[in-house]
Amino acid sequence: MNKEIKLSVNDLKISFRTDGGKVQAVRDISFNLYKGETLAIVGESGSGKSVTSKAIMGISAGNSIHEGGEILYDGQDLTRIPEEEMHKLRGDKIAMIFQDPLSSLNPIMRIGKQITEAMLLKNEANRKEGRETFNKTLEILSQTMKEALAENPNTGFSAEDVDKNIKTFDNLNIQSIKLENSYNEARTAAEELVAIVKDVLFLAEKKQKVDAVAQLKLVERKLEAINDKYFVGSYAETISGHIAAVKNARKAEKAKVTLLDSVKKVFSSGAAGKDVSEETVAALEQVQKTAEEMLAQPAYDFLGVDYYLEKNPGVDLSAMGPIEANKLTNDYLEKDFLGDFIKLTEIAVRYSFNKTQENKKKALEVLAEGAKFFQAGEFAANQAKETAKKLTDSVKAAIDPLAVIKDNVAYTFGDALGREVDNYFFYLKNNPKEEERFAKQTAKREKLLAKGKKVDWKVVPKSVIEPERQIETIVSIINRVSAKFQADIENAGSFDAGKRCEELIAFFKSKASQVVYKLTKPIAKEKAIKLMEEVGIPEARIRFRQYPFEFSGGMRQRIVIAIALSANPDILICDEPTTALDVTIQAQILELINKLKKEHNLSIIFITHDLGVVANMADRIAVMYAGKIVEYGTAEDIFYNPQHPYTWALLSSMPDLDTNEKLDAIPGTPPNMIYPPVGDAFAERNKYALEIDFEMQPPMFEVSPTHYAATWLLHPNAPKVEIPKIITERIKRMEERGGSNGE
Amino acid sequence: MVNNNEVLLKVDHLCQYFRMGRKDLKAVDDVSFEIRKGEAFGLVGESGCGKTTTGRSIIKLYDITSGNVYFKGKRIGAGTRSYKDAIKRAKKDLKEKKITEEAYKTILEENRKLIREAKTNNALVDKEYAASLVAELEKEYAPKLAAAQEDPEKFKQLRREYKNKLRVAKKSKLITQIQMIFQDPIASLDPRMTVRDIIAEGLVIKGIKDKEYLNEKVYQILETVGLVREHADRYPHEFSGGQRQRIGIARAVVMEPEMIIADEPVSALDVSIQAQVINLLNDLRTKLGLTILFIAHDLSVVKYFSDRIGVMYFGKMVELAPSDELFKNPMHPYTKSLLSAIPLPDPVYEKQRTRVTYNPLAEHDYSVNKPSFREIAPGHFVHCNDEEEAKYRAMLK
Repeated sequence: MNKEIKLSVNDLKISFRTDGGKVQAVRDISFNLYKGETLAIVGESGSGKSVTSKAIMGISAGNSIHEGGEILYDGQDLTRIPEEEMHKLRGDKIAMIFQDPLSSLNPIMRIGKQITEAMLLKNEANRKEGRETFNKTLEILSQTMKEALAENPNTGFSAEDVDKNIKTFDNLNIQSIKLENSYNEARTAAEELVAIVKDVLFLAEKKQKVDAVAQLKLVERKLEAINDKYFVGSYAETISGHIAAVKNARKAEKAKVTLLDSVKKVFSSGAAGKDVSEETVAALEQVQKTAEEMLAQPAYDFLGVDYYLEKNPGVDLSAMGPIEANKLTNDYLEKDFLGDFIKLTEIAVRYSFNKTQENKKKALEVLAEGAKFFQAGEFAANQAKETAKKLTDSVKAAIDPLAVIKDNVAYTFGDALGREVDNYFFYLKNNPKEEERFAKQTAKREKLLAKGKKVDWKVVPKSVIEPERQIETIVSIINRVSAKFQADIENAGSFDAGKRCEELIAFFKSKASQVVYKLTKPIAKEKAIKLMEEVGIPEARIRFRQYPFEFSGGMRQRIVIAIALSANPDILICDEPTTALDVTIQAQILELINKLKKEHNLSIIFITHDLGVVANMADRIAVMYAGKIVEYGTAEDIFYNPQHPYTWALLSSMPDLDTNEKLDAIPGTPPNMIYPPVGDAFAERNKYALEIDFEMQPPMFEVSPTHYAATWLLHPNAPKVEIPKIITERIKRMEERGGSNGE
Repeated sequence: MVNNNEVLLKVDHLCQYFRMGRKDLKAVDDVSFEIRKGEAFGLVGESGCGKTTTGRSIIKLYDITSGNVYFKGKRIGAGTRSYKDAIKRAKKDLKEKKITEEAYKTILEENRKLIREAKTNNALVDKEYAASLVAELEKEYAPKLAAAQEDPEKFKQLRREYKNKLRVAKKSKLITQIQMIFQDPIASLDPRMTVRDIIAEGLVIKGIKDKEYLNEKVYQILETVGLVREHADRYPHEFSGGQRQRIGIARAVVMEPEMIIADEPVSALDVSIQAQVINLLNDLRTKLGLTILFIAHDLSVVKYFSDRIGVMYFGKMVELAPSDELFKNPMHPYTKSLLSAIPLPDPVYEKQRTRVTYNPLAEHDYSVNKPSFREIAPGHFVHCNDEEEAKYRAMLK
């Protein structure tokens, strides 16, 4: 499968601290989420579906313990990154829809405010963060350049050149940002203008009461605010014409109102001017048309424009169209400045890459030594910690600071190693205690049993990890980094400094524009209304001002989806989004989610306990039971060729339209995860359980390259078992209906 | 499954309105249906269409606005709105001189009488029912007591037994023959009562004081619903969702009802637990000969469980048919839309499934010809007008 992996969860382990003991909610689950696909996670309540999704969002409950494993998104391990980093992802990149729309909306806030709130706050934070990252990366770049020049003096550049160039680049960015800011302000004013005009026209069309004079004054002010020459460009005359027209319209409206007011005074009844006159409407329509035309123009590339203007003062580029101006200035910029800058950056990038390659080679030796040290065992605490620190330092030195995409394995190495080393000493100390407690409790229990008493408590299993096992874990972490470095060194030939350079400059530009992009309330409102229309809310402009209680259940869920989409996320996690809704609304919401998935190219994690819902939505399905994935495969695999007894049970416990026979209910309840079973967790409720199921956990058996199941029944030595009749018959019916074609 | 035609429950033009400011909210508007003995009758529709309200009106959790509810041939609920409306209409007609004074008076008298009857009906029904029970008891015990005249010990014991039963019989109400199972097993059980208290509460209210008898009854019913004796002294929070719903069922079944109204009993449960509860309800139905009114929005479950299904839309019953017939020949456009929205565990089929939307304004033109509830095929009723009736009939051929 050569699809792009968006999110990958590896060996995730989460437990909860409770009064009764440690509940192991998620035990070693791994899955990948590909771009643009829907992965459904199916299971009973308490199987750990929601815990997994909450861990991905970084909103696990307070008493949860992350015991191991990783969640990789964009090269970052979400379980390890600090909360500040998580802020940037949560909502922005990974959004979530919850089960109950009523409880995820604030009842005393208008819908509009709830949709725009996050947009506005995020925008502010992004601008601040953009500036910081920009400065930091530029500093690193300048340092690396200097170092690089010090190493090879015959490149034709000197340290002063670096300072000059960096300064110019920084200056250029700041200047162009200023230029862009004023352009953007004008643009914003135009967007606001469109919003206001749209509002007035909408109300006028609906024959609602409008304070026309005040609104026209606002329009006038906005028109005057669009004064940036780059934005107005060739529209200057049209705009001044509009200003005059609006002024006239305002005067006319004012005259009308005063007349009506005097009439009102005489008869002391009737409302003041309700409708907007046709002239005004016409004028406003013209204004809207021009503003929209202007907004549709492509934007200037202000980096080039600014540089050109600085070098050639007195030239006016505004008359030129943005496309031509961009071309001219960019060529000039390339020739005059960027050429040098890019050359310098390339030198720096190459130098930094080579240096880190060297460091990697060095680190490999250190790592090999470290692995040997840990493998030997028998080490004192301070000694081990020292070694760990040494390893961490050498790995850190091998990370290329100029790489835009950070290497995750190396990035998280220090933390992971430190924790495992700590764990080693913890277990060394704790193991005897646990053994003692376990022996004591078992003895007590047995004594009571011998007396013939009824004992309704179990002995908490000992949480003992052999030191050898722990050392293995430590060594495996070290080996993983080594393998990664080895691969990097081997692939060094394919390194493309030019490409890396482009990436870096694009990164700078994106950060700079992030600083510049300012969202104001009217624009946010316009965006929100667009979103609401997109999720299928009729009359969004009126609905915008309503409260959640004025919406029906399905509409509320649509609002929640709109809020989730407002930040344009990559990944959408839907935690039972339709469980609280009835069949028709459920079908609508599912269709909506499917539509949005295609339009926004979203990757979706869809959590539910209803397999019927999943058949429509999912590309792939993972069936979870007691914190483990027991079977996963494509939707066709799971529905037409289920392998795990739990999947059988799930399928056969729900009736479809042709079911007449008695349902195969799953007897009993899920196991208590404070005492997770030794063998297969489902064995106790499974009528197909083999003896080995009670003793050993089954590994994942491959059914087909896309289909895996963890059941001993797939072992070559296992006895042949018939799939329950209710399922075989249903599959047969589905085949008859022209469904499955056996693939 | 059902082969007797004894009508157990008859709902006749039931209306249930709620006050909403000046207007009335018509939660249930002119709904009529019959449930035969031993039958499972399903009621489906989207949320807010009045399914639950219908159930609650039947069991008299609300005072019904108009219409009648008959249980075992006796009227257990009656509303007065329709009679009042008739008087109002007559008054108006009199003003416009459409009817004579005399005719008006007869209408007035008639309807006033009906209103009076409806109002006194509730008390009378229970009284009659209690009286009939008392009479039965007398008939049973009179010879026994007479026979035991000579033995004072036995006579005393018999007499005590008779007195106890008499007390219960005098307090009996017909409505306790219908019991309800609620949707949310967490919210419907009192967290401060033990399972024993919860299950026995109905019996205690009925007037049974014998502790041993109560305990025995509770244990027996716990075992019937698949729980064990030890559970009797626990509190609801100590149970899982499925077990809680079993307690809810036990509480209903312990009253030895003839009929159970199950209001979305599985909607709040996991799929695997759903199957357990449905199987349990099915077992109880065959074992105890229960009649069940099954209210749910999950069509696959309703189809699986019910013999006949009524589809409701905004307070009206739009279609009623045997379940196989309904799924084979849906007639009302709303039913079609509802059926097209059912998700099935079949990915290939699912990806081709197109949902039909229902827009009542576009589908029906009721400006001239008013619709009513008509029988299109034997046992298959649809809410339609003349024109549509012809269309539906043509569809069947």
